Amino acid sequence: MSVMIASLGGGRAAVVAGRLISAEFLKVRKRRGLLAVATILTVGAVAAAGGVLAVLHAQNPAKYGPAGGLGNLANAAYLLFTLGTVAAVLVGATMGAGDLQAGVFRDLIATGRSRLALYAARIPGGLALLLPLVALGWAVAAVGSVLLAGRLPRPGIAVMAQGGGWMLLAVTVAYLVALGLAALAGSRSTTVGILLAWQFAVTPLALAVAKLGDLREGLLTAGLDRLIPAGLLSGARPDPVSTTMSAAVAAAVIAGWALIPLTAGAWRTCTRDA
Amino acid sequence: MISSEDAPVMEPDTMPVGCAVQTSGLVKRFGDRTAVNQVDLRVPAGTAFGYLGPNGAGKTTLIRMLLGLTRPDSGSMWLLGRPVPAERSAALRRVGAMAEEPRFLDHLTGRENLRINAAARDPGAVGRIGGALERVGLTGRADERVAQYSTGMRQRLGVARCLLADPRLLILDEPTNGLDPAGIVEFRGMIRALVAEGRTVMLSSHLLDEVEKICDTAAIVDRGRIIAQGPVTELSAAGARTVVVQVSDPGRALPVLTSHPASRSVTEDGPQLRIGLGPDAEAGRAAADINRALVEAGVDVYQLEVPAPTLEERFLQVTHKFEEEAVA
Repeated sequence: MSVMIASLGGGRAAVVAGRLISAEFLKVRKRRGLLAVATILTVGAVAAAGGVLAVLHAQNPAKYGPAGGLGNLANAAYLLFTLGTVAAVLVGATMGAGDLQAGVFRDLIATGRSRLALYAARIPGGLALLLPLVALGWAVAAVGSVLLAGRLPRPGIAVMAQGGGWMLLAVTVAYLVALGLAALAGSRSTTVGILLAWQFAVTPLALAVAKLGDLREGLLTAGLDRLIPAGLLSGARPDPVSTTMSAAVAAAVIAGWALIPLTAGAWRTCTRDA
Repeated sequence: MISSEDAPVMEPDTMPVGCAVQTSGLVKRFGDRTAVNQVDLRVPAGTAFGYLGPNGAGKTTLIRMLLGLTRPDSGSMWLLGRPVPAERSAALRRVGAMAEEPRFLDHLTGRENLRINAAARDPGAVGRIGGALERVGLTGRADERVAQYSTGMRQRLGVARCLLADPRLLILDEPTNGLDPAGIVEFRGMIRALVAEGRTVMLSSHLLDEVEKICDTAAIVDRGRIIAQGPVTELSAAGARTVVVQVSDPGRALPVLTSHPASRSVTEDGPQLRIGLGPDAEAGRAAADINRALVEAGVDVYQLEVPAPTLEERFLQVTHKFEEEAVA
């Protein structure tokens, strides 16, 4: 009997979670401006870069090599990682602080639904928009790298699959950091500003300061670098931070970067005046 | 295991005779300022209840505490017989609430905004969207983005959002803000219809006229403290402060009235004499005494009336506005 009740309870919880996630997805997919920017930063950027390289190669093959091949896939990986992170920050910050800033968070609380459930639904709700775009961007890059390889070595299926997995991991973590921080700060713009400054100003500077030594391994970028598929490393980061960090430590660093802001955001969501 | 939030709750179909909302010793402070001060509130089930007070009296803060949007510093609360926040989820399941001005996701349509809210409610809430839109007269505009809505339409959509709960209790904070006169009349009718269906409506307002025309019972709050509570008719009657008489000989009546112990002032108002009563005088008793005194003085009394006071007069009395105006 208790098993049956547990099963019913679990089923009901799943249905409720499904409705909440669907609602979160509706909120974000209907933000036309955000959707357009995220599409441009992911699929659009990769397609444009590949297109430019293809045109250049077609016009002057002696000067410009083929647009495909493993090397160009590595470059596309770096491009998609960089711009995909920006898209993830924009979407994550919107999901983290959007309800609060629009003033509808209180109306959701007033339904009696738990704050934690409302917060948790934002995680898959936003990723449902972001990950398909990043996956599509990577697919464009991967297909282009094969079709436009010419005389260059083609990437193998394993590299493409591992690269895709790594890309999805990277943008997921960036999304979770932005979501948590935005829920903590209660502000989308503040979160976007802080995270973009961190990623594109503070992190490169910190990575360049050799005196920081192993401390640099605590940076998210260092952890992600460690897990890049070997074939794509040259494009993603020509000068990786560490070649000695174990994969387990890298995974712990990445998990820490994802979970700490996410937990802080959950705490603030549950305790703030709505 | 079923979470408390989603567990089926054994609820009676109708509220037992009692209170839909009850608070005891409720206190909320913001720094040195006490926004809600030892509030003991009782909202009778199945009535329209007005929570009346000037701006800054603590009305919205009380509603925010009831809905779990902010925590009280001390005191107890019950919604539909359930203690909150201990049983907040179950208590709010059949509560529709509009705290402060209704806010929406402007990039979504009215219907989509309701879908968002319905997702957080029981499974039947989605099926109530159409009916709720129809009830507030927004069916024809439901698929337009809320960014294009007027203030009045947003107010209506806010009420529609409340109706998704199939509420036994509606809590509405200044609900007629932004409505045009026709919309206000329509709104009153809707509230009365909801009450006629057995629902309880608690609305906060600083508009005396609104409370007087909509509500059965009311509480008057000032500076965070409830200073009067009860049926609107009783609250108003308690504010009766004048007796009006029409007599055969005003010249002879005047000295009788000015010397009467219940009288504080006498003014001539055309053929009538208006007697302002002293602070300790009870209007009905004073009217009888005045009548007797006039007759014993040989003055014929053609008409004697204790004018029905308005809630406004009562409100101003208890919120010390008379004193403030006198000082001004």
